[in-house]
Amino acid sequence: MASRRTSTVAPPPPATAPPAAWVAQRRPRSRAERFAPYIFVAPLLAVFAAFYLWPALVTVLSSFFRWGLLRPWSPVEPARWRFVGLENYTTTLTDPSFWNAVLNTAVWLVVFPLLVVGFSLLVSILIWYTTRAGTVFRTVFILPMTISLDAAGIIWSFIYNADPQIGVLNAALDRLGILGADWRLGPLELHPGSWLSNPGVLHLGFADVRLTNLALVIPAFWAFTGFGVITITAGLTAVPYELVEAAKVDGANAWQTARHILVPALRRPLVVVGVVSVIFALRTFDIVYVMTGGGPAQDTMVLALLLWQQAFAFLDTPQGGQATAIAVLMSAVLVAGSWPYLRQLLAGRSR
Amino acid sequence: MTAVGRSRWMTFLLYGSITVLAVVWLVPMLSALATATLPLSQTRAGWWNLSPADLTFGNFARAWDQGLSRYAVNSFIITILAVVLTVSAGSLAAYAYARMAFRLKATTYFLLITTMIVPVQIILIPMLPWFRTLGLNAGPQEYLGIALVHTAFGAGWAIFMLGAFFAQIPEDLLEAARIDGAGWFDVFRRIALPLALPGIVSFAIIDFVFVWNDLLLALTLLDRAHQPLTVGLANLQTPHLAQEDLVAAGTIMAILPPLVLFAALNRFYVRGLFAGATKG
Repeated sequence: MASRRTSTVAPPPPATAPPAAWVAQRRPRSRAERFAPYIFVAPLLAVFAAFYLWPALVTVLSSFFRWGLLRPWSPVEPARWRFVGLENYTTTLTDPSFWNAVLNTAVWLVVFPLLVVGFSLLVSILIWYTTRAGTVFRTVFILPMTISLDAAGIIWSFIYNADPQIGVLNAALDRLGILGADWRLGPLELHPGSWLSNPGVLHLGFADVRLTNLALVIPAFWAFTGFGVITITAGLTAVPYELVEAAKVDGANAWQTARHILVPALRRPLVVVGVVSVIFALRTFDIVYVMTGGGPAQDTMVLALLLWQQAFAFLDTPQGGQATAIAVLMSAVLVAGSWPYLRQLLAGRSR
Repeated sequence: MTAVGRSRWMTFLLYGSITVLAVVWLVPMLSALATATLPLSQTRAGWWNLSPADLTFGNFARAWDQGLSRYAVNSFIITILAVVLTVSAGSLAAYAYARMAFRLKATTYFLLITTMIVPVQIILIPMLPWFRTLGLNAGPQEYLGIALVHTAFGAGWAIFMLGAFFAQIPEDLLEAARIDGAGWFDVFRRIALPLALPGIVSFAIIDFVFVWNDLLLALTLLDRAHQPLTVGLANLQTPHLAQEDLVAAGTIMAILPPLVLFAALNRFYVRGLFAGATKG
């Protein structure tokens, strides 16, 4: 790690004793050298402490008190504290609207990473094969990455517009004659057409999964896939060409080459894309906020939006504590879930 | 013969499928672009039936006059301020993490890296009262406030990505300068910084796109006079108001700066994401 690197700054071993002048020249500087790293990290750490560590600490602490945003919990006014212990957590964990948001977030957590990983793997391999036009195609898939998620949500609201005169998706379905169809396939109910109100339900017995959530996952997937394509195409450049040539000589077709040579070589990029998209999915806010606001009813409410509404939409009710409880729970789940990845990341850096 | 035939068929299939996917991928953009450049009456009759004679830039002008100009100015101020702060504090710190030994290095590195994972909601709720305490809740100070939050939340990415670039510099170069009597800061400024410049540019672009596209922080922390384009768009997007033309025009304008940056500096952008994603 870096400590080893900086240790080379120290004088060489005694065998080649440094000239006296050299040592004398270094000594006075060593004090400044010892302080230098602190001066380098101080500005960033100061901002980090004031605008991340401290507020995060206040969030955790305030989750044990009852308060509303009109009179926010303050660490310096003990006279106004109303300590409630774990009440915010128990209230949250027994609140049906919390579990509704958990279910919808779970849909995101399962569907979004699968879509991103699967699709960007497919696209990257296709790009890899189409060497000649590869860069053009790659740019097409990377392009939406620069678009903000709320702009992506707005753009997709046009696509989803229920009126087949306005929304291109429904216009296409209209041509095919399946617009407004009403299908039932076992536990699955489908109503293609009303994408943002009620495109269908999957009855799971213990819960009903609203397919409206999938209509919101798609724009996020569209905007985020570029990250997967960049990461996986970058990983593909590391695949030794001789290996692919050898496979071709052995008579492997494109599918077999992809299956047995490319995919195994991509384990690491695939893990990166998977982990980052899980993190992304749990943080989802913008697209839901701008496309449905969590509705209709609570059909598309996700945790990030629920928390935001509890904290900022109901100024006069003492729900601030519950909102912070959700924030703490979300962060704990993310840190715990990505712990192996985080450790790998840190280990990789200190190698 | 058969082998050649099969591979030709295969090539056709590969190019065909990626072309279809790419076209589908572009439809949302085309839809927004068409809605933005057509009169509302034409949008209502299906933008795909457009005739080129209908194209107009009037929507952009109207959206701009209806308040989008103020949002755009705010977006630029916030983004540039945040990127400057993050890049300058970030490259100093990243250099120290990549090249120096100091106490609590591993602990602080870990804490900084958590910003890449922990959702921003963890700091959101106490932020407004905290801004009030610091005097960052009104007037132009709001720009500074949100830029500092972006700096704090970009800290993990900054030391992670910039650190990767500083770590690539050969130790011999830095050591040589040090033997010549250069102090730490001189070594950083004269040797490390110029060598890591391509990396710093890629990070700056990624950070620009990230800050420019933020909705949640801006929506929560800023009052109406200081909100950026993302919030302006979310405000415009009211389903029951028939103003798709304005919304679409605003959307196109909002996505333009990052897109232009991306087009102009595509290589840097991709390289930066590549480094962030696979190194480590």
